[in-house]
Amino acid sequence: MVTSRWISRDDSASDEALLAGVAIGDERAGLLFVRRYQRRLYGLALGIVGDSGDAEDVAQEAFIRIFRHAQVFDVRRGAVSTWALTITRNLAIDAMRVRRGVPTDPSDRVFLELTSGHHQPENAAIATEAARRVRGAIMELPVEQRRAVVLAALYGRTAAEIAEVDGIALGTAKSRIRLGMAKLRQGVVTEEAR
Amino acid sequence: MSRRGDERRKCAPFEDDLATVALGVATGRRREEVLEHVEHCAFCSAELAELSSVADEVLELGPEVEPPPGFELRVIQRLGSHRASHARTRRRRAGVIALAAALVVILGVGLGVLIPGRVGTGPAPSAIAHPTEASLTSHGHVVGNVVVSTGSRPWMVMTITRDTWSGTVTCEEILAGGKVETVGTFGLSAGYGTWSARLTSPAREVRGARLIAANGVVLASARLHG
Repeated sequence: MVTSRWISRDDSASDEALLAGVAIGDERAGLLFVRRYQRRLYGLALGIVGDSGDAEDVAQEAFIRIFRHAQVFDVRRGAVSTWALTITRNLAIDAMRVRRGVPTDPSDRVFLELTSGHHQPENAAIATEAARRVRGAIMELPVEQRRAVVLAALYGRTAAEIAEVDGIALGTAKSRIRLGMAKLRQGVVTEEAR
Repeated sequence: MSRRGDERRKCAPFEDDLATVALGVATGRRREEVLEHVEHCAFCSAELAELSSVADEVLELGPEVEPPPGFELRVIQRLGSHRASHARTRRRRAGVIALAAALVVILGVGLGVLIPGRVGTGPAPSAIAHPTEASLTSHGHVVGNVVVSTGSRPWMVMTITRDTWSGTVTCEEILAGGKVETVGTFGLSAGYGTWSARLTSPAREVRGARLIAANGVVLASARLHG
């Protein structure tokens, strides 16, 4: 046996503290940040692009951008997790549009993985309590509203694109998104109360 | 019609689009019109804020998925590349770049040598050109991973991420021919832990690693080099 050193995982550190550490070049904070978020960012990217290679590219690029812009992150504007997931989501949407043309219809498989909870890829897990709440709430939506919300929120589809893909009027697509979001808002509140 | 009723009537044309703006999928002129209305309407402003919060929560729908083996190392390497191309001209990124270099050192040659201020003085990236990584499994489930750097005195980095073990555990390396050597004894807290140790055997001789509980039970194991 030779030298060894325990490196604290320090799960008690908040996301904001870790990101602040990243911003000032703290090595341990950076490592912990990558380890804390890699499964969530990769999972979100995989759910959107549906391909492990593309998902890895997206998640890697997301970390690059997060580290690059850590110094300008403003905690008053929202949670670190939301910021990181939004960066990942936007990169995933860009990747889909660049690599596959605009627009493409996400496969039913990916859609189901993200909304049903019954067809998740192996090793998938609910990431957070917030994820449990929103998953519970979204499963209460009528399927057409659920689909409209997911296509817009996770795949970046405009109402016009959803109307075209689903063969419905533009006004119908907008209404489905609006009603879905309104019910989702109420549903999240209900889930929080459980 | 009351004043409040008049105001709400003005809001009606924008009701559907508040959600698309919140979701970031409204486009062009229509988005500008909605935002212009929101700027002067307290009701719609509050509505948009709430819908935006819901839109943020939808992002949580993404499942938590273990990335492919080596993902963490590749992220680190990309951060290192970023350093190489931007270090001279972008001083404000110096902290991030130093972190990238440190992370390369961390996984490449071991966490034990990490000393603030020594960033950039570690081995060249080629020193970790071909590290070996394997999943650490317990009863068929992945509970962490093991990385062994290259060289005659490689570093082993072990990470446990999924289980409920706590207390003192022992890490053993399994060498070619079946010989087993103790690498180190470490503490584990609520199933989480990351540590490193320098090995006395060349990297090519290391065939696997395993984690042993205080009572001698093998908690998890990993196979390296086939």
